[in-house]
Amino acid sequence: MKEKKNIGVTILLILGLVTILFPLYMAIVIAFKQPSEMTNSVSGILSLPARWSLDNFREAMRVTDFWHSLGNSLFITLATIALSIVVHSLIGYVLGRSKAKNKAYNVVYLYLVSGMFVPFAILMMPLVKQTANMGLANEFGVILLYTVFYLPMNTMLYSGYLTNLPIALEEAACVDGASTWKTYWTIIFPNMRPMHATVAILTALGTWNDVMTPLVIMSGDKNTLPLAQLNFQSQFGTNYNLAFASYLLALLPIIIFYIICQKQIIAGVANGAVK
Amino acid sequence: MQDNSMGGMKIAKKRQRVKLSARSRTFLLITIPIVALFFTFNTLPLIQGVVYSFTNFRGFGSYDWVGLRNYVDLFQDARVGSSYLFTFKLAVVTTIIVNVVSLILAMALNSKIKFKSALRGMYFLPNVLGGLVVGYIFNYFFTYILPEVVKMFGAEGTSMLADSKTAWIAIALVCAWQSIAMNTIIYISGLQTVPVDVYEAGSLDGATGWTKFRHLTFPLILPFFTINLVLCMKNFLMVFDQIMSLTKGGPAQSTESISYLIYNNGMSGGQFGFQSANAVLFFVVIVVISVLQMGFLGKKEEQL
Amino acid sequence: MLGKKGFFSAILAVAGLLLTGCGDGSADNKKTVIELVHYKQEAVDYFEEVERQFNDTHDDIELKISSPNDAMTVLKTRFIRKDNPDIIGIGGDYDYSNFIDADMLMDVSDFDGLKDIKENYLEINENLEFIPTEGTYGVPYMANAAGILYNKDMFEEHGWQIPETWDELIALCEDIKAEGILPFYMGYKDTWTCISPWNSAASCLTEPTVCKDVNKGNTTFSKEYATVAEQMKTLLEYGPKDFAAYSYNDACTAFARGESAMFMIGSYAVPQIKSVNPDLNIDSFVYPASNNKEDNILTSGIDLQFCIMKDCPNKEAAYEVLRFLLEDENVQAYMDDQNAIPCKEGSFQLAPMLDGMKEYIEESKVTDFQDHFYPSEMAANALIQTYLLDGDTEKFLQKFDEAWVRYNRDLIEKVQKYEAEHESEGE
Repeated sequence: MKEKKNIGVTILLILGLVTILFPLYMAIVIAFKQPSEMTNSVSGILSLPARWSLDNFREAMRVTDFWHSLGNSLFITLATIALSIVVHSLIGYVLGRSKAKNKAYNVVYLYLVSGMFVPFAILMMPLVKQTANMGLANEFGVILLYTVFYLPMNTMLYSGYLTNLPIALEEAACVDGASTWKTYWTIIFPNMRPMHATVAILTALGTWNDVMTPLVIMSGDKNTLPLAQLNFQSQFGTNYNLAFASYLLALLPIIIFYIICQKQIIAGVANGAVK
Repeated sequence: MQDNSMGGMKIAKKRQRVKLSARSRTFLLITIPIVALFFTFNTLPLIQGVVYSFTNFRGFGSYDWVGLRNYVDLFQDARVGSSYLFTFKLAVVTTIIVNVVSLILAMALNSKIKFKSALRGMYFLPNVLGGLVVGYIFNYFFTYILPEVVKMFGAEGTSMLADSKTAWIAIALVCAWQSIAMNTIIYISGLQTVPVDVYEAGSLDGATGWTKFRHLTFPLILPFFTINLVLCMKNFLMVFDQIMSLTKGGPAQSTESISYLIYNNGMSGGQFGFQSANAVLFFVVIVVISVLQMGFLGKKEEQL
Repeated sequence: MLGKKGFFSAILAVAGLLLTGCGDGSADNKKTVIELVHYKQEAVDYFEEVERQFNDTHDDIELKISSPNDAMTVLKTRFIRKDNPDIIGIGGDYDYSNFIDADMLMDVSDFDGLKDIKENYLEINENLEFIPTEGTYGVPYMANAAGILYNKDMFEEHGWQIPETWDELIALCEDIKAEGILPFYMGYKDTWTCISPWNSAASCLTEPTVCKDVNKGNTTFSKEYATVAEQMKTLLEYGPKDFAAYSYNDACTAFARGESAMFMIGSYAVPQIKSVNPDLNIDSFVYPASNNKEDNILTSGIDLQFCIMKDCPNKEAAYEVLRFLLEDENVQAYMDDQNAIPCKEGSFQLAPMLDGMKEYIEESKVTDFQDHFYPSEMAANALIQTYLLDGDTEKFLQKFDEAWVRYNRDLIEKVQKYEAEHESEGE
């Protein structure tokens, strides 16, 4: 069926894109320039670089030890996503199915969700001490902490999504004699796929850009990409050209990830919102 | 016959109960370790933080118990007071901007347009960027580009970030720029749940434009409105990255957010004990606000 | 099922870690390991070279130097988990005072290298102790200096002279302004840049012990800082109109591009300026706050010093590292790399942009930055920025006094208790 497209709205939306693309243009132009090309004027900031050289990017990769930092970041983010999907969907399932009928589970639900509102600053120092005592002052500690930090939000999303899955689905399996555990993995878990996408995106966005947790927990032993960005800012000098080149490099993986699963992301986020 | 069927039901029920208890056991086995994990890495450190809030701990070295002194100080400290005022002003205004713009954008992106998925993709982009990077980019924008634009229109142009009356607006704009994406998508999904026949029925009644939105669309997406409102408020109350990269609390200390103060004076400075008390208060405040919001909007939803 | 697999392998990994704990394998290694963590991230190349050379020449000691990003946060978190390095390289500032107060540093009075350190920098360190503490806790390595940087070519072209008194400075500013050139560029959006001229003015116009005297209850800042505050306000007339719009970086760029004749900042800004304009001919002079030439003194503080942590088990090895760092060619290499001023006696080659300050440095006519006595959480520099924006001197000074008492409450109590005890002892 051919629909009539609303051209007016389309044009308005395309014009509106300027607000998105203009800042990105600024970042890209600055990333390609040399410090000596920077002037304090509009033209200095908006003009194209004298030559399009990848020197800044090469230098940024050297300073940030790009491949190692990238590896650490990827490991932490992927492991966090994997853990989150498994752990949070399980608890979301249990609570989603029980909280309406069982007071105790409702209390557990509220307890976990309220964790969303704890300011990280208050947890930071005790966590530093605690992870060190447990031998977790490393990337595994960071992964574990992320899994706990995102638990409230993701539990809420998963248990909310469950209301979309009719209980009859698992009852049928139950009648066939499958255990709850098995039913979960064979029926519920695959059926929550759209929600897994949402959780993966939200968790990935949060962990990928986070500086504070790896900074205080790992204390300089290993760099993640955002941590390595701090290299460009000493108190007495910031090389914004290198810094922006480096930011763009750090963004690249997540933008690629985003382009590849753009459809799922948007569908996923949308799914997440269904109460 | 009747007896028989009754008996059959009883047996079925009994069998179900056995099944249920196996199910409950599985549920418990899942819940207990996860709650334990959560307790260990969230509640336990929180309790420790609360303990620190009764000390004059600097973050290192020895410390003394000071009783409720930190809490008494909290309510007398003008800087803490203005950080709460600033943060709330920012959160409320930004929440409004974000929700209005997102709703309009969502309706536009959900209407019959060309390049629908490409446009949706582009508009989601700001959400991918980290708060610090966005701040640095906008720094250039506010310092050099905007004043020039203002000058072109013949007015006096200076950086919005340099004036304590306007700096918070600049921060609100940057925060909004970044979060509109996520909220828009949530609204889009909300709009997609509105059945087409509702509109058709509405059009028959002659509902158009604002009336249609007010009486047909909005009530149906109210749950999404609730989610957006609560998440926005919470995120903006905790604003930190944008402050760090745009103003570092300035000018004239007019943009010190609560999180900024807690981190800056507690972690970098030597006020760890006092700022722990601040963080405890802040936690309570956020929980109360969120509960009130959800309660209020929940009632609204029921009324409709 | 990547998720499931990842989950279990993570659990295994975590369990493995818990079992093995965090034992460091250094026990079976004969070498003594000395770990040095410093906060001069910008000098990372220098320290890598030092580490390599030291390890090449020492068979019994292994030196590990790390230059983490955001080093103070890293250090503080390491203190919390009792994972102290052996040596820390920090500035002579409020953190240092705090670390002494918290009894975390080792007394290094018996270190033989101290005899080569300039007396006045040792005194500066001494003065940083909250309450007089027996012993020496830091080995000053490098100093920086704050004053006024100027565009040498521009000065020569117009025949401007270096001012030696406050009145001369103002006259010079008027001359520069008359030529249609901006005398100063200011990057007061970054509040810490306000503190540079403030420090210089305060060093010339007040006693170096002013903060301590306030703590003892002998005076107030309203009395001591009145002239300093007025000078700060006067200088605004010679800066850009929207001085709070520009950051430190913007100011460096503007000065580098010749948009102003002078820039009130420390020697540490030179590399940033040169990155924009490598050909700029920069020199410096001492901020002449007083009309009495004799009172004008160079503001110079300890930019980098090495402290040994109290629980360091290998004091001798740590001393060996310090000796190596203090070898003349290493000191010179650091100076060349960072335009720094050595705290060690000897004939070193100062960077050319310090020519105008040379005389003061060589004659040790220096005094510490006063903000080294301000607790960072007090945000003194933000108070100064606030004042410059609204211009009410009296209100500002009153606020400064109030904030001081608010943020130093425990310290003031401690100092006054100490004073009281010592008075009674003396009697």
